[in-house]
Amino acid sequence: MQLEYFLLLAAALFCIGIYGLITSRNAVRVLMSIELLLNAVNLNLMAFSNYLDAQEIKGQVFTVFVLTVAAAEAAVGLAIVLTIYRNRDTVDMEQFNLLKW
Amino acid sequence: MAQLFLQTIWFVPCYALIGAVLTIPWSPGIIRRTGPRPAGYINLLMTFLAFVHGVIALQATWNQPAQQIIIPWLQVANLDISLPLEISSITVGATVLVTGMNLLAQIYAVGYMEMDWGWARFYSLLALFECGMCALALCNSLFFSYVILEVLTLGTYLLVGLWFSQPLVVTGARDAFLTKRVGDLLLLMGVIALLSMTGTWNYWELADWARGAHPDPKVITLICLALIAGPMGKCAQFPLHLWLDEAMEGPVPSTILRNSVVVATGAWVLIKLEPILTLSPIAMSALVLIGSVTAVGASLIAIAQIDIKRALSYSVSAYMGLVFIAVGTGQNDAALLLVLTHAVAMGLLIMSVGGIIWNNITQDLTQLGGLWSRRPVSALAFLGGTAALIGCPPFGSFWALLNLADTLWATQPWLVAIVLVVNALTAFSLVRVFGLIFGGKPQQMSQRSPEALWLLVVPMTLLLGFTLHLPLVLESLSLLPNWANLNDDVAILLFWSSVFGCTLSGIIYLGNFIPKPVRLPSTALQNLFAYDFYTPNLYRLSIVFAVDRVSKITAWVDRFIVDGFVNLVGLASILGGESLKYSTSGQSQFYALTILIGVSILGAFLSFPHWSAYNIFNSGF
Repeated sequence: MQLEYFLLLAAALFCIGIYGLITSRNAVRVLMSIELLLNAVNLNLMAFSNYLDAQEIKGQVFTVFVLTVAAAEAAVGLAIVLTIYRNRDTVDMEQFNLLKW
Repeated sequence: MAQLFLQTIWFVPCYALIGAVLTIPWSPGIIRRTGPRPAGYINLLMTFLAFVHGVIALQATWNQPAQQIIIPWLQVANLDISLPLEISSITVGATVLVTGMNLLAQIYAVGYMEMDWGWARFYSLLALFECGMCALALCNSLFFSYVILEVLTLGTYLLVGLWFSQPLVVTGARDAFLTKRVGDLLLLMGVIALLSMTGTWNYWELADWARGAHPDPKVITLICLALIAGPMGKCAQFPLHLWLDEAMEGPVPSTILRNSVVVATGAWVLIKLEPILTLSPIAMSALVLIGSVTAVGASLIAIAQIDIKRALSYSVSAYMGLVFIAVGTGQNDAALLLVLTHAVAMGLLIMSVGGIIWNNITQDLTQLGGLWSRRPVSALAFLGGTAALIGCPPFGSFWALLNLADTLWATQPWLVAIVLVVNALTAFSLVRVFGLIFGGKPQQMSQRSPEALWLLVVPMTLLLGFTLHLPLVLESLSLLPNWANLNDDVAILLFWSSVFGCTLSGIIYLGNFIPKPVRLPSTALQNLFAYDFYTPNLYRLSIVFAVDRVSKITAWVDRFIVDGFVNLVGLASILGGESLKYSTSGQSQFYALTILIGVSILGAFLSFPHWSAYNIFNSGF
């Protein structure tokens, strides 16, 4: 097993996340895509930590931080989505284009 | 005492200038209670002082060599512009002529402008003219002559435009200014170019330079042609003659001054420049050509006019043409004599005619007639002016014309023919005017025509007296040709040409053989002369058309191309802002996409140098 395969997998996951982030109409699915991005990052961190820094495993420490921050971010994100939903009765991203030119 | 007056001769122009300034308070807007008359009296006084000063100085300068006073004006770097004054009998005599004519014109104006409120403006402008002409007569520098000519051009504009509520006055003043300005500007080119060749503008030094100079013929020809162009406009020569016709819209007293003296300012400069002009045979021929064409053309036009003032103004052009011929053939003395005799004779003619206009209202020759019995003084003055203007032996212009023709007889006989033709035509024209005003039966406009106020008659009779005495004056100054070497043939030809013109005109206009108004067999020809060769149309179709078109095109280019380009920049910015704002779509996912694209491009850009090293396309996984 080489480092590259992990990195490629993480990159693929990241790209899938990006695709979901940009194309989803449902706001919750956008949040889910963001989770995919963060997890792809976590995969990278773990891989680097394992292959390049097996002694001090700083990458794993980073991963733990990212997980906690991601959880908090998802919570706040869902809260925002809920607030919007309360006001506008929808979670369709295409209905949220009020702040334009 | 006389020497003192001679040394302070430079004060002569100043009198008039002081008068002009003192006059201004009597403008209707400043002193409201007294009326405008004091303006005229102040100027009369100042002109009288200048006249007396000039006369005393003239006695002192007689038979004395010419002196020069130099008044420093400006010294910058290598250029030394100082104002030299020439004090000789000719220049002082010219100031006496100017102040004398102006004195008479101003007395005349006191009567003529009786019913007018604009005395302050009128008299201050007359004084400006007097000042300018005296300064021109005295100054011995081409540069200052040019300066004064320009001031006089402005003065003409203001004086012709005195009654500016009349539309024809406005157009006339405009044409007078622009036409003379064009000539003056060409003169300026010559003046500037001459400095680089000669290093001086002093007439005496120019003459000295011209005596030993061998300049490039082309260059000196061009310069001389430019120097001719200024006087050409001033003297109302073809093709810059229309302004004098339109300047007849101004008041009669100013016309006296203009027709007699102001137009001669150009001739004066020309006479002073004669040494330079002789360097270029082409320029001399051009002078003769312009002079001859104008003299013949203008005297033909004068015959076909029905407006009294215009009939006389074309004679002015014609006589200035003769002056051009005289200068063009190198006869300065004849030219100066002609200017003098023409000035008094023409002044007298205008004065006589002005009195007729004053109480017959109309200027139309076809509406006047039969005034001989009731206006004898005016009629005699007109006859005196006529006799003095054409070649009528004892009187002034005969000697000037004889002087001119005598020299031409040996060298260029065909020019004698032109002089004779112009003389005959002018005689015809003046007798025609006389016949139409004073002969025949009274018409509606001239039924009741009392002789004018003494203020109009006295200057007229004074000038008549001087005109009649002019031959005696000339003789006492030994300016008349000697009887012994008088050319009898030329004198007789000149005399007969006058007699022929007068008789023919007298038969036609004083006899009852031909029905009036006289019709030429060819109406087209008659109209051609009556509308002075359609000169306004010529101007309109050539210069005015070209300048008008070019200025319209320039304005269009400025408005649409130059302005348009700058406006286009602004417009493009507005359009850019207006269209690019739609990039802020309001979709946060779109923002995410743009971030992604930006990051990708930046990444690709940063990693570009390393692509070849990894060569991802060929290695394969």
